[in-house]
Amino acid sequence: MIRFEKVTKTYAGMGHPALDQVSVDVDKGEFVFLVGASGSGKSTFLRLILREYRASSGRIYVAGKEINRLAGWKVPRLRRSIGTVFQDFRLLPNKTVSENVAFALQVIGRSRSEIATLVPETLELVGLEGKGDRMPDELSGGEQQRVAIARAFVNRPMILIADEPTGNLDPTTSVGIMKLLDRINRTGTTVLMATHDAGIVDQMRKRVIELDDGRVIRDQAQGVYGFQH
Amino acid sequence: MQLRYVFSELGQGLRRNLTMHVAVVLTLFVSLTLVGLGVLLNQQADKAASYWGSQLQITVWLCKEKDDNPACTGEVTDAQKQAIEKVTKDNPEVADYHFESKEQAFEKVKELLGPDKFQGPNPAATAADMPQSLWITLKDPDQYKGITSAVVGLDGVSGIRDARQTLKPLYGSINALQWGALGTAAFLVIAALLLVANTIRLAAFARRREIGIMRLVGASTVYIALPFLLEALVTALIGVTLAAGGLGAFMYFGVHQRIEGKLNFIPWVGGSEYVVAVIAIAILGPILTLLPTLVLTRKYLKV
Repeated sequence: MIRFEKVTKTYAGMGHPALDQVSVDVDKGEFVFLVGASGSGKSTFLRLILREYRASSGRIYVAGKEINRLAGWKVPRLRRSIGTVFQDFRLLPNKTVSENVAFALQVIGRSRSEIATLVPETLELVGLEGKGDRMPDELSGGEQQRVAIARAFVNRPMILIADEPTGNLDPTTSVGIMKLLDRINRTGTTVLMATHDAGIVDQMRKRVIELDDGRVIRDQAQGVYGFQH
Repeated sequence: MQLRYVFSELGQGLRRNLTMHVAVVLTLFVSLTLVGLGVLLNQQADKAASYWGSQLQITVWLCKEKDDNPACTGEVTDAQKQAIEKVTKDNPEVADYHFESKEQAFEKVKELLGPDKFQGPNPAATAADMPQSLWITLKDPDQYKGITSAVVGLDGVSGIRDARQTLKPLYGSINALQWGALGTAAFLVIAALLLVANTIRLAAFARRREIGIMRLVGASTVYIALPFLLEALVTALIGVTLAAGGLGAFMYFGVHQRIEGKLNFIPWVGGSEYVVAVIAIAILGPILTLLPTLVLTRKYLKV
């Protein structure tokens, strides 16, 4: 589903590469944790999958397509097959929960009737049934993140990328979010999650890829956060 | 594509940045009016030149039947015309020349004085009353004595009109007004471009969350940029409409009601020239707003 072949990314004006000869293969339906210190290259890794940047060298395949060579106008189509969740939720404060989720479908041109079925269905899936008319600031942090996950998943993407989704949440709430991501993973969606949360990684026992200074230093099935913990 | 979102964004955008949009519209209004005036003045100069000759042209009247000049023995013959043409062609001062027929002369007189006088059973003149003429364009406005003296004594020549000295101040002021209008317009056009650029920057900043999410979930670039382009188009259309109204008022109250009746020795710009000026600003206006919008949406909304 996602394949990095000797991918190097050097940002303009930086001598040192953010990612250095990274080769990784993620199969369809896998759940992968991406761990490593700040600045180890996790965010760059995720952004390359979204084609926010092009790799400096190497090849990146997403769903069989080499995205480094993708024409600019085809990038939106790539992103429609990827859902993304962030630490800071990024909800639109002037729209209700339902409208926030529906927005993701509206702007890619889905019909009203599709939106009318998909939005409540997805809100139910993330455990927010009955809260569609609330405004984001009336919700707890965990609930807001559920809205963000609903928005990322409402188009049923093949891949879900989560960049520290529990970074702003307390441990109990985080467990709920992880259960939700696990449930989404069980529907066949490939989940890629960057995190600093050792407890979660150790508990879930999923594949762990550890980055350090732009290199993969560990790629372990059913791994833990790190040996220092 | 769901256009509901695009149009609701358009309305929101226009309201949110109302003062900026008003500034853009007003700047466009004034600059496009000046551009339109420049276009009208340019056409006015052409029109005057078609009747009186340009600053490089002198007119040689050829003999007609019952000519006022006693040297004329009757309508100029083809042989005489050929002789005149040969002298003209061989003269080093002449850049270009062409003959004008009686019918062409008649058309010009009709246009200047209005066609009413030349209709009915008792017309003021007919095409037969008009003289044929030879229009000579000089290479250098100061070098004209050679050709005038060479042509003036030839058989079939009734007289020479060199109205250039009389017309010089007229052409001079038309020219000055034209470049004054276009020059001022150029400054305002720059101001309009900068205002549009700032408006877009503000709008992109105000909508950065939405835009970020749209990019992330895979909205197409066109879809993201469309509200911006429509905003630009709406302001341009309002600016063009105001400028067309301003020019129309100038044409009616200025040219038609004031000048036309008093200064009737040259033909004045009318409806068809107004249409040309409006077409010019209708093309320029949208370009002025859409061009910076396209450039900047590429910069700010890049996927």
